[in-house]
Amino acid sequence: MSIPQFVENAPGLRIILLGNEAIARGILEAGVVIGAGYPGTPSSEILSTLAEMQKYYPNLKVEWSINEKVAFEVAYGGSMSNARSFASMKHVGLNVASDAFMTAAYAGARGGMVLISADDPSCYSSQNEQDNRYFGLHALVPIFEPSTPQEAKDLIKYAFDFSEDFQTLVLFRTTTRLNHGRGDVVLGEIKKIDREYGFDWDRSRWVCLPSHSRVLRFKLLERLQEISDFANEFPYNSLKISDEKINGKRYGFVAAGIPYAQLIDALNFFNIREKVSILKLGMVFPPPKRLIKELLKEVDRVLVVEELEPFIENILKQIAYEEGLAKEVEIHGKDFLPQNGEFPAELYLETLAGLMDLEYASVAVPNDLLIIPPRLPILCPGCSHRSSFYAIKQIEKKMKTKFVNSSDIGCYTLAVYKPLEGLDTEICMGASIGLANGISKIQSEKNPVLAILGDSTFFHSGIPALINAVHNQNDILVMILDNRATSMTGFQDNPGTGIKITKEIGTRVIIEDLVQGCGVKKENLWVVDSNNLPEMIEKLEDAVNAKGVRVFISRHKCSLLEINEFRLKQIKTPIIKIDPEKCKGCLLCVDKFGCPSIIFKEREKKAHIDQESCRGCGVCIDVCIHDAIYKEEGE
Amino acid sequence: MEIRNFNLLIVGVGGQGVISAIQILTKAALFDNYKVRTAETHGMAQRGGSVASFLRFGSGIEGPLIAKGNCQVVLAFEASEAVRYFNYADSNTFIFINNKIIVPPTVHSMDMEYPNIENIQKFLHQISSNIFLVNGHEEALKLGNPRTLNVLMLGVLLGSGKLPISREAIEKSMMVLIPKKYQKINEIAFKKGIEKGKFIISEIK
Repeated sequence: MSIPQFVENAPGLRIILLGNEAIARGILEAGVVIGAGYPGTPSSEILSTLAEMQKYYPNLKVEWSINEKVAFEVAYGGSMSNARSFASMKHVGLNVASDAFMTAAYAGARGGMVLISADDPSCYSSQNEQDNRYFGLHALVPIFEPSTPQEAKDLIKYAFDFSEDFQTLVLFRTTTRLNHGRGDVVLGEIKKIDREYGFDWDRSRWVCLPSHSRVLRFKLLERLQEISDFANEFPYNSLKISDEKINGKRYGFVAAGIPYAQLIDALNFFNIREKVSILKLGMVFPPPKRLIKELLKEVDRVLVVEELEPFIENILKQIAYEEGLAKEVEIHGKDFLPQNGEFPAELYLETLAGLMDLEYASVAVPNDLLIIPPRLPILCPGCSHRSSFYAIKQIEKKMKTKFVNSSDIGCYTLAVYKPLEGLDTEICMGASIGLANGISKIQSEKNPVLAILGDSTFFHSGIPALINAVHNQNDILVMILDNRATSMTGFQDNPGTGIKITKEIGTRVIIEDLVQGCGVKKENLWVVDSNNLPEMIEKLEDAVNAKGVRVFISRHKCSLLEINEFRLKQIKTPIIKIDPEKCKGCLLCVDKFGCPSIIFKEREKKAHIDQESCRGCGVCIDVCIHDAIYKEEGE
Repeated sequence: MEIRNFNLLIVGVGGQGVISAIQILTKAALFDNYKVRTAETHGMAQRGGSVASFLRFGSGIEGPLIAKGNCQVVLAFEASEAVRYFNYADSNTFIFINNKIIVPPTVHSMDMEYPNIENIQKFLHQISSNIFLVNGHEEALKLGNPRTLNVLMLGVLLGSGKLPISREAIEKSMMVLIPKKYQKINEIAFKKGIEKGKFIISEIK
């Protein structure tokens, strides 16, 4: 087998890499040893690419950790032991890791230590669009931000040298379009790090009790000052001054990350790239004060082009004030650009046109628009979550009540949409059980309170909340939808599958044992195959009616993984059909169950199975009350 | 001829192979020595949702996103998705559409109407006169694998002469990216697409 290009030690070779693969390549080139993370869009491919690389570079040691806090600590343990280390996560993952991050920032890095935060403006796959640059400011940790796949590779490679030179952590911030955009990347050399690895018994540094932390805090501030001075020479910051005027004024722009790349495109669109001053930041914090001062002195108007919060804009305004330039130069940002969402490319054009009085006509929109109803993401054909939520609905109907379905982060969150409308809360990882603890104190007399979450989410942060419910005797039913994978982010394994990131066999953690270890009584534990709908409805009703902390495990392998496995083993899946004679066109299977493989033919007023997408799970057979759906025999 | 800025949008439904198609073209653009960028839909939107991915190449590009009205070509693997993203096209844009409509299953329970091919065609003709419908799904089914639709549509695009990437580069890219088992059938689909592309363009001349 030939080796994949992205692991070749071939400096100068130009290849296509996804942003996340480019980051992984930079990490490989830097001679990193330890990597850990928790899957989360848009960050996931960074670690899985490194797991591929590990096959060829066995010195690498990467793992999916149980959550982002543990991932950060795994990496930081590596740094303490003189190994170059990193942790990667999506933006909200840093909320989980922040406890460790805030204090590790005091003790700093020994082996180069980089924390990658993949932010998600526009919430493409997230519950919020928080701007994690504030975490860098909050922890006084420098923030690097790349604008192209090439720069992502180069900048993260450099980040490990920087981290060791200044003994500092580095926060490497990306956004979705960097992570999930491909580009041509010229490879560099894969470094061989020759050093002694091992733990450093320096208690005054690693034991952060008050007397040590006061000293460490002082050192952190000193370090930040040194980095701040260096920021003006930082190799990925650049200032280009132009003294030309556009419509009578000299213009300057400040940008980093994807907005920098899009800004360049927009300036090229108007052919004015050479006529304006541009400060490009590869490190957005601490800011290069001297460069900013130079820019402010040379122009009449500055526009800071940044998505989300006015982070750089506020820094500029502060420096302008300190330097007595506040009256000399106009600083614009959020007065021209929105504070929410990703900036679409045409927004740059419209904004530049508005700012500099340039000619630009927006695209004309036809008068009679054709409205296309939304195509929302949905649970896949054969998805076991559908049958779990359908079972819940059936029991609610029978008991003539509504459960409070406190839910969580995962594919199953898609059950919020019609027709299942099966969940009532989603805040953050593990919150289903935490919230249910509180809701049950008020509501359990009136409505049963369910906490519904997936296997990986349960491992991530559901366990402490379950123990909390046991200890405090909060009356909840925890439903674990165990589909044996972390599906939404790309089917990563987790402790429940026992397979490691490298696909080697690890040790499996049995959810049933774990739950009982948390103090849930054996008679309050149910395990059912999600696709066995009659059994599920029967047992789930028992579970709803029982008292105390109950755990119901609804288990069936993710249908996408299952179908791939069947294809690989050339196993034929059952053919499911609908007998048009028996179908009454009642729409139960379409409007209440909602499997995308069941299609309603308006003309005939009959339901029909789309054989191309049907996975043959057969759950709909039990949904139909007219016995019209059947499994074709003889296959 | 130097290409400064070629902008292509591929739209479709999660699972139709939009990302694979983008990947094939991206690598092919590299083989033809272009600077190249993409922006792709991964994650949550892939679960049967609407998918739109950008491909840009040429010497004058920097970022991955395309401004509305600035696509030279739109390739729609599903017909109604071409309407959803219509404003990326303008009167010069060539739009190639697989004439199959996939009605989202949620439409029925939301009690909404879904447009038909005639509505779609009529609407898009207001944007550009270069609208081409292809029976891509039907052809892919005839070949015995509906999942070859994406490669067939790439063939249509290449055959139309509206893509400044060489056939050799795309074929080489397909060799690298498509698993061995499926290479033969994809080659056939690609050729079929090229024929169709050549044919629909010859019709307008």
